[in-house]
Amino acid sequence: MSRKVEQVLIVGRDAAAWLTALALQRAFGRTGVTVRVVELPSLLGPADVYAAVPSLTALHGLLGLNDHEVLAATSGVPVLGQRFSNWSGAGKPFVHGYDTQRVAIEDLDFLQFWVKARAEGLKVELEDFSLAAAAARQGRSPVEADGTQVETPVAPGWHFDGRSYVDLLRRAALSAGVEGRAAGVQAVSREGDRIVSVTLDDGLTVAADLFIDASGAEAVLIGDSPGAEFESWRDAFRADRILVASAPALTPLPGHSEIAAFPAGWLGLFPLRDRTAITAVYDSSVMSDRDVAQAIPVLCGRPVIGEVTVEPFAPGLRPGWVGNCVAIGGAAVALEPLDAILLHLIHTGLSHLIALFPVDADQMPEAPVFNAGFASHVRNIRDFQLTHYALNRRFDEPFWDRARDVPVPERLAERFRLFEARGTVAIYDDESFQEQNWTSIFVGHGLIPRSYTPLVDRVPVEEQMAKFRGLLARVAEEVRAMPEVESQFGGAAR
Amino acid sequence: MTGPARVRDIVIVGGGTAGWMTAAALAKVIGTQTYSITLVESDEIGTVGVGEATIPPILLFNKLLGIDENEFIRETNATFKLGIQFVDWGRPGHTYMHPFGLFGADMNGVGFSHYWLRAVAAGGDPDNHRFVAEAEALRLGRFMRTPQKTPDKPQINYAFQFDASLYAAYLRRFSEKRGVKRTEGKISTVARHPESGLIESVTLADGSTVRGDFFVDCSGFRGLLIEGALQAGYEDWTNWLPANRAVAVPCDRVEDPGPYTRSTAVEAGWQWRIPLQHRTGNGYVFSDAFISEDEATAALMRRLDAPAQAEPRVLRFVAGRRRKGWVANCVAIGLSSGFLEPLESTSIHLIQAAISKLLALFPTTRNEPELAERFNRDLDLQYESVRDFIIAHYKVSTRDDTPFWRHCRDMAMPDTLQAKLESFRARGEVMVENHELFRETNWFAILYGQGLVPEGYHPLADVLSDDELKLRLAGIRAGIERRVAEMPSHEAFLRQCLEGVTRR
Repeated sequence: MSRKVEQVLIVGRDAAAWLTALALQRAFGRTGVTVRVVELPSLLGPADVYAAVPSLTALHGLLGLNDHEVLAATSGVPVLGQRFSNWSGAGKPFVHGYDTQRVAIEDLDFLQFWVKARAEGLKVELEDFSLAAAAARQGRSPVEADGTQVETPVAPGWHFDGRSYVDLLRRAALSAGVEGRAAGVQAVSREGDRIVSVTLDDGLTVAADLFIDASGAEAVLIGDSPGAEFESWRDAFRADRILVASAPALTPLPGHSEIAAFPAGWLGLFPLRDRTAITAVYDSSVMSDRDVAQAIPVLCGRPVIGEVTVEPFAPGLRPGWVGNCVAIGGAAVALEPLDAILLHLIHTGLSHLIALFPVDADQMPEAPVFNAGFASHVRNIRDFQLTHYALNRRFDEPFWDRARDVPVPERLAERFRLFEARGTVAIYDDESFQEQNWTSIFVGHGLIPRSYTPLVDRVPVEEQMAKFRGLLARVAEEVRAMPEVESQFGGAAR
Repeated sequence: MTGPARVRDIVIVGGGTAGWMTAAALAKVIGTQTYSITLVESDEIGTVGVGEATIPPILLFNKLLGIDENEFIRETNATFKLGIQFVDWGRPGHTYMHPFGLFGADMNGVGFSHYWLRAVAAGGDPDNHRFVAEAEALRLGRFMRTPQKTPDKPQINYAFQFDASLYAAYLRRFSEKRGVKRTEGKISTVARHPESGLIESVTLADGSTVRGDFFVDCSGFRGLLIEGALQAGYEDWTNWLPANRAVAVPCDRVEDPGPYTRSTAVEAGWQWRIPLQHRTGNGYVFSDAFISEDEATAALMRRLDAPAQAEPRVLRFVAGRRRKGWVANCVAIGLSSGFLEPLESTSIHLIQAAISKLLALFPTTRNEPELAERFNRDLDLQYESVRDFIIAHYKVSTRDDTPFWRHCRDMAMPDTLQAKLESFRARGEVMVENHELFRETNWFAILYGQGLVPEGYHPLADVLSDDELKLRLAGIRAGIERRVAEMPSHEAFLRQCLEGVTRR
């Protein structure tokens, strides 16, 4: 006879804690589950930002969050992609656009035709055929000021001010019935691999059936769980610092984030309505914190306003579910905020948890399934991030030379080989990024297929060129149908 | 022992800046132990120097002589000079600088100007002076000497502005102390060997004769020996450089004039303003085809920024070059070898260049035609490249507000200059050759300053990544700011030098 999970205690902070609280409350609140949050002091400063890939929109839908309210509360802006600059030295920047539809000719991937045409002298870049990239470059997105979206086959990602977003999530969770309490953790009472109760620094001891560790890198609960050892990825990712700062708002608002490589790492610029959030991820043995802070205004071409904060960063993964404790967000996985992935990692953890929500409070056989599935997702995301580093073409810079030379995981090496051989992206289970995303960054970073599928030759050249023209015309037309981000969220709309 | 007689007795005809610079350098380098050095000059003949501005190689000349710079500054009423400010040259109302420093720093073997043009094309600040430490210091009126090769701070290149008569007097004392013999008198005749044509001696007005093995003609525009006796010929460059007159006048010094020479383009030429410790030298270089001497003098006097200290003096000249600067056993140094208007303060440098070349090719015997040929070829190149640089100021201007400037606009230019301007327009560099005094950095300052904006730049400047370029530019700019922040005002530094506070 199993005992139902009735008490869930989330110990954590910031987006991980409140997204989890709201998600579990909305999913299981009506089934009699009580969701409580012990909120640890926030690690967010005024400069922090959350950048999200389009999948967040689906999570918001589940959570009952309305795009318009979220954008209004967080100085938020929609973006259709990320522009990568300086990753190949003086090579051209490229935009990784958030397309949702693959482009095909006679049911063959468009890339195949492009590879052939390029070999025959076509000068048009692959991203010119990407609706999301084209719209992003022109500062457009499908989102209107009231949060509605024009009908188009692309989906925006988002930038939110960090603190405002957490405030919004907290309000939504509390009003949905979550119980919250601000406190620190004094002691964790364990029995074997299970947690019995958590004693707070205000003296209260809280027992629960299921504990969620949403405390970030501190891993206040799971860090001491047996078998939850952290697997460090320091060999692959050398950056050991994350710096956040702000610059004045950009006018007009661009339609993308800017992810610019520099000698010690990369620098992200995330436009918001009232400021530009800056994140620098770098190796402090290559450039000191002070040097990076001084270089930022130069690299951005904009002054830094307000405070600059630096946090250490250690990349890696641990088993996210041990006993009756599940880690969500940074407590389970530490990846750089590259590819706007942090909220998506929380989202992935939550999706797995909701799907595998334990049926028996005393026995949780779901844990290994959760761990395998989550880890598999995370490793694919990690490989997507590693692609940027591995394919960089900044020579004679120690940080970047090493990033190119360090061996990549075999699965990623295989992806490179297959893509280079014939423009095919090997897609596995548990992928967050789809074929068009991989293609975009492979080609963007200069990994161009040597050949293409022979089926392409079935289409006569004239017909192919006509299709190309048609595609470009359609991209231009679809882009024109989208409003400018500036007109909806910048200038007078501010 | 037979064979041609070795050169032992050297006679310099004419004092002034050229004569005494030559005497001082010869006294220092060849000495008066095995050679005799005689300088013949007349107190009756005035020297041309008023306020004289120089360029940084003067420091090498001072170093050659081993003179103490502070003493030199005190003795010649010198001020420091970081460059030239050009007013109304590109167009009326516009000002730019030709600073002595390097423009930024070369990267990966490509000149800084190309990277800078790339940054400007990407929306950067089009003020090139931000990347020259000397321009920044000049703008703020600051100066100091800097040690060579300070990490992360640029060196400051400088020259001087001084009273040329005092400079000649200073070098005369230097030379006489080292055994140079000065003979007072005006030259009346020059005696040449009837067969070889070599100059044997000069006879003075009082009938005395000065014999020599080798003669240096420092007699000024007239070229008493090189032209008067040896008929070397003169190549007239008036078709490219129409100015043929200058009127000069000193005036009272104004408060803290700043460490630079000013050149202002005016109706029929340009005016110089050279601040010294005790007064300001002024002059108007013009063409008498466009303004009379009286009108030019009146205009100069009207535009003085302080009361005149003397009567204005008019100088007449013809821009050009002696066809041969070394003929037989005579070398012309100074104005006797050619004349280029002092727009880029090159007069003393051309003297210095001839002296260095003479020392490098110093004759063993009285007749050395191979050495003479080499000397003439090298000096021709020097003169021609300076000439082209000066013409460029007139040609690149957009001024057409007076007949003089319309004439400049319409006049022809040497092919060598034409090629430079075309190259600059296309790719931001003039392709200087090794022998040229003015380098890419100087040409860039002038051509860009006059308003010629290159349409392209060196393709290799695109190789640097955008972030690297921004970081490098910021690094250079930060170095300049660090350097200039520690500099005192020019006045304060000059005072320290005069008080002997700073020691070299």
